[in-house]
Amino acid sequence: MATASPAPSGPQPSLTFTRPVFAKLSPHPYLLRTLSPDSPDQQPTRNNGRSPHQPRPIQINTSSLSQAHGSSLVRTGDTTVICGVRGELLPVTAIPQFRPHNGTLYDQDEDDEARARKELKDYDLLVPNIELATGCAPQFLPGVPPTTLAQTVSTRVYSLLHGAGVVDGRGLRVWYTPEIKKEEEGEMEVEEEEEQEEQKPQVVAFWVLYIDLLFVSFDGNPFDAAWAAVLAALRDTKLPAARWDPDREMVVCRKGADTRLNIRGLPVACSAAVFLEKEHAEVGRGEGNRHWILLDPDRSEEGLCKEVVTVVVDCSEGETRVRSIEKQGGTVVGRELIRGFVGVAEGRWREVKEAMGN
Amino acid sequence: MTVTTAPEAALGVLPRADGSAKYSHAGYTVTASVNGPIEAQRRDEHPYEAHVDVIVRPAAGVGGTRERHLESILQSSLTQIILVKNFPRSLIQIVLQVEDTPENDYVNTKLVQASLSFAIMPALFQTAVLALLSAGVPMRATATATAVAIVPQDGTKKSVVDPSPRDVEIAQSVHVLAFTSHDELLLAESEGDFTVKEWDDVYETAKDVCCRPVPTKEGMEMVLDDEHTNGPDLRHFLRSTMENKVASDLHWK
Repeated sequence: MATASPAPSGPQPSLTFTRPVFAKLSPHPYLLRTLSPDSPDQQPTRNNGRSPHQPRPIQINTSSLSQAHGSSLVRTGDTTVICGVRGELLPVTAIPQFRPHNGTLYDQDEDDEARARKELKDYDLLVPNIELATGCAPQFLPGVPPTTLAQTVSTRVYSLLHGAGVVDGRGLRVWYTPEIKKEEEGEMEVEEEEEQEEQKPQVVAFWVLYIDLLFVSFDGNPFDAAWAAVLAALRDTKLPAARWDPDREMVVCRKGADTRLNIRGLPVACSAAVFLEKEHAEVGRGEGNRHWILLDPDRSEEGLCKEVVTVVVDCSEGETRVRSIEKQGGTVVGRELIRGFVGVAEGRWREVKEAMGN
Repeated sequence: MTVTTAPEAALGVLPRADGSAKYSHAGYTVTASVNGPIEAQRRDEHPYEAHVDVIVRPAAGVGGTRERHLESILQSSLTQIILVKNFPRSLIQIVLQVEDTPENDYVNTKLVQASLSFAIMPALFQTAVLALLSAGVPMRATATATAVAIVPQDGTKKSVVDPSPRDVEIAQSVHVLAFTSHDELLLAESEGDFTVKEWDDVYETAKDVCCRPVPTKEGMEMVLDDEHTNGPDLRHFLRSTMENKVASDLHWK
C-alpha cells in the first residue's frame, strides 16, 4: 500500500490499520479471522501466536520468600503469581467447641485420616487469600474492596484444598505426652488409675496455614496459576518443630528441626475457554455456530469467551483421577468434550509435574 | 437421613416484585424475586445486552466469598438462557434468599462456611428459573438442575440424588449438573475424587432427573412403570407448576 512508493513529503497519514489496531478495535472478528485461515495449509492460530490447544509454558520457582515457611513463584506467560505459606499456632484452648478425640500419636489408620480431614475443615486450618494487586491488569483499581474475581478464585482454591485432600491434617497437630513425675509416684498410688488416664498423648495445638497469593501480573487464567502456586508452596513448606512447655503453658518452637509438610498427590488444574463464531448467536440452535476450545486463555481471549471449563486431574497414582470439573456459561461443552478435555488436562499435568521438579 | 420428598413450589409469592417464587426441595427452601428489565446502573450498563444481576443471601449472616462464587456461577448460567439481547442497557435483578437449609446432626454447624456450596446450588438454580418464568422474562430455554453424590456403601459406591448434608460429608465426590430444555449441559460443577467413568454415570443419572422425556404410556401402564424411581422428574415439575399457576390465574374466566 503506502509503503510501495516512498512518501513524497512529510509523514502521510496511512489509510490502513496495523494488526494491533484491528485487534483492539474489533477483537472478535480479528480472532475469528486468525482462527479460520483462508487456505487449508495454514494452521489456525490465536492472536498470541499459539495454536488453540497450546498452553503457555509454566515456570515454577520455590523458596524465594525468606520469611514464609513455604513459598513459590509461578509464571505462565504474563500471568505471574507469588504464594507464601505461613504457619501460625492455634492452641486448642482458643478453639470454641473443641472436641478432643481419643486417637493417639501413632494412629495411622483411615479413621484417623478422615478425622484429620474433618479437623482441617472444622477448625479452618487452611486459610487461602488471594489478592489481585493494583496495576497487575488495567481493570483492577486501587482502593476498592476485593473484586468478585478475587473472591471467586479464593473460594475455588479453598474448596479444592479441602475437596482434593491435599494437606495431610495429621502433620498440623502438635502433641504433648505428660511425663510421670518421679517424686509423686509413691504418694499417689491410690490415684494411679486417674494418672494413667492422663498419661495419654493429647493434641495441644494446631498449625494454621495462611496461604496468601498475590498476582503480580495478570494475563488471564488466574485459577490454574493460583492453584499451581498453592501446590508448589505447600510442597515447599517446612514447619518448625513445636512442643508444649508445661511450665510456661505454651507451645514453643525449635529452630533447625523443621519437618516438611506431607502433601498428598499432585492435582493440576487445566482451564479452557470456548470461542464462538457468532458472538450473538442463540443458544439451543447452535448447530451452525462453529467453536474453538482455547486452552489456557489470556486476558483478551477471556473477554471474548463466555463459556469456561476447568478440570483438575491427578495422574500421580497411575490411573487418572479427576478432582474437580467446573464448566459454566454456555452449552457447547457437553459430555464428549469434557471427556476429551480430561485427556488434554493429562498432558498439562505432565508439563506441570516437570516444572515442579520431581 | 435421605429426604425423599417431592419438590414444592409457589409462584408470585411476593406482591411487589415483578416475579417471585418459593421453592423447597431436599430440605432447602429458597425464595426469589425478579425485577426486570429495569434501568441499569451506569457501570453495569451494557450497550448490546441486559445485565443480569444475581444476589444470594444466606439463611444466617451476611454473604461472604462463598455467596460471591455462587452468584457468579448463577449469573453466567442464567445469562445464557435469558434473552439478554432483547433488553440492551437494562438490568434484570434476581435476589435469592435462602430461608432454610437441612440440619446435619453429625457435625457442629458453623455459621460461616466457605465450602458446602454444592448441595444448595440446584435449589437456587430452580428457584431463579421459576421466578424468571413468573416475572415473564423472555427466555430461550428453561433449565433444571440437580445434585448427585457418590457415597461409599458397604465396599461399593452408590450415587445419591439430592444428597443430605450427611451424604455430602461422607461422599467421595459431589456433582451439580444443569441442563437446558434442549437437553444441553448448561452447568457442571464437580468436586471430590472420581474417574471419568464415574462422572459419566453421574451425567446419566442427572440427565434422567433433569430431562426425562414426557411419558408416552398412559393410565395404568404409567403407574406400574417403576423403571424410573431414581429421583424426581424436574422438567415435568417445572411444567406442571407453571400450568397450575396459569390455571389458577385464569380461573375467573
